[in-house]
Amino acid sequence: MTIDASPDSASHASHGPKAGHARRVAVHAVMIVLSFLSIFPIYWMIVTSLRPENEIFSTSLWPSNPSLENYVFVLTRIPMIGMLINTTIVSAATALLQVVTGLFAAYALVRWRMRLSGIIHGLIALSWLVPFQVTMIPNYVLASRLGLLDTLTGLIVPNAAHAFAILLLYNAMRSFPTEILEAARIDGARSWKILWQIVVPNMGAPIASLSIIAFISAWNEYFWPLLLSRKPENSVVQIGLQMFMTQEGNLWGPLMAASALASLPILIIYLVLQRHVIESFMKSGIR
Amino acid sequence: MTDIQADLTRPLAVARVPAAARQRGTFTVQPWLYLAPALCLLMMWTYVPLVEAFQLSFYQWNMLPTAPQRYVGLTNYQRLFALPEMRAALWNTLFYILGLFPMSVIIPLFVAIWTQDLEGRARTIYRALIFVPMIVAPVVAAILWRWLLNEDQGLITLGLETVGLGRIGFLTDPTYALATLTWITGWKLIGFSTLLFSAANAGINPSYIEAARIDGASRWGIIRDIRLPLLSPTILLLSMMTILFGAQWSFAYINVLTNGGPLKSTTNIFYLLWEYGFQTMSAGWSSAAGMIAFAGFAVIAAGCMWLTKRFAVYDN
Repeated sequence: MTIDASPDSASHASHGPKAGHARRVAVHAVMIVLSFLSIFPIYWMIVTSLRPENEIFSTSLWPSNPSLENYVFVLTRIPMIGMLINTTIVSAATALLQVVTGLFAAYALVRWRMRLSGIIHGLIALSWLVPFQVTMIPNYVLASRLGLLDTLTGLIVPNAAHAFAILLLYNAMRSFPTEILEAARIDGARSWKILWQIVVPNMGAPIASLSIIAFISAWNEYFWPLLLSRKPENSVVQIGLQMFMTQEGNLWGPLMAASALASLPILIIYLVLQRHVIESFMKSGIR
Repeated sequence: MTDIQADLTRPLAVARVPAAARQRGTFTVQPWLYLAPALCLLMMWTYVPLVEAFQLSFYQWNMLPTAPQRYVGLTNYQRLFALPEMRAALWNTLFYILGLFPMSVIIPLFVAIWTQDLEGRARTIYRALIFVPMIVAPVVAAILWRWLLNEDQGLITLGLETVGLGRIGFLTDPTYALATLTWITGWKLIGFSTLLFSAANAGINPSYIEAARIDGASRWGIIRDIRLPLLSPTILLLSMMTILFGAQWSFAYINVLTNGGPLKSTTNIFYLLWEYGFQTMSAGWSSAAGMIAFAGFAVIAAGCMWLTKRFAVYDN
């Protein structure tokens, strides 16, 4: 075997260049299979949505006569645009409110050390472990008593504060140098001013992460809208999709077009902010 | 609302603060004003409902505002334990969780270790692609797989027929339906878990590996004695999430694709809660089943936390 001076093959001393090459091919093969599995269903959704009706069962990888007829069908048959607007409102409002309530609560826990902080922190963290299905009946009763059934407000308010948001911001804020807070306090700055002029401007990254995650999970939320919604035009796109599937379950072309429209905003966000989205999710966990 | 923070393995208690930093004796109203919005919302929509659900579990009520709630003591619980449905749902819950493990923990772990040398552009592209299912809405994922697995003309059905395996009722045959739903749940997780393991694996101090190599450790020896122990916090975290939330993640797929059927073969405990509550309108049963589930998962959560503290290896 020839001498290879590159440090890389030296570290794989026992394998030799040939085995190293085979290994590299195998590594790529594994990743290609995994990537294919992940992306193909979405690709197939888009391809199917572009097929005209008489070609819907074709197995070609690209439609021979791409057409937008399925999209037209969806847009005329169900109030898709309205539902997309509703979903945008609900998701943006949920994200914004989670950031604000989270900032306030985290700030209170970091800035003041109260005797009850431990208990409050525990109470917030534990609320996470309560499965929604367990509290759904009382929640439903409360929402109907407040007149929130079939309203967007009803979809937003119960999710306006979340343990995840508070803890994420709390952990980020805890690493904020307390000297700066102290100095501002000695200068006579009020806590409100310190929060908005010193803390928030330095919390850009965690706030952005939280907004991305909160927006995407609110967009994909299904269970609570399922309980609350009555009419599709007052509801979010996930419910519209589910209703459409129940009624027209075998119109595959329009169904795929509707699914594509429902996913489009999230996919666009992902295309634009790809690295940030991945990192936000990885740093903060699963939603 | 199934989520967990990657930091959950850290002790949940508040950081210890030097006594001097505490404001002793004086009660300040300001922090409570800041805490009020979050605490009120959590009370209103989580804790008070939890207590109400606990109360409801001792009552019989058909969820009509005008109908009376009748106190029945422990009858709801006794009935539930006697019901074969409940037992089947608990078994199915276990199957969902066990079925998810290969896709949420085992395969990602080995893929991450196996592909650790990937670098540069290829790595970035793979990362971007395998993450995508994570942000696909569950309803959309359900519809996509329903199309691919469709019994008449679904691509996978056609493929299997070409290979000579015949048609499989992925969603209509009680033998396969639960496995299909588990697969869809896992499809959303497998790439994300791989990324989490890759990140953890890349964070391992290379000097340990180098030292072991100099000592003549084999490739597998390095994985077993260095990588796996140092990956144990991530392994335990993902296992814990799978156990605690796996059954909840599958809810949307059950509701969209099978409604718990065929022959109740895909009904898990959370779907049963929903059925009792909003289809048969028996709030008492639903709440009692909810309490059983909550108590069960709380015990498991405590156990997992203990395991994490006991067995996770941290590189200090």
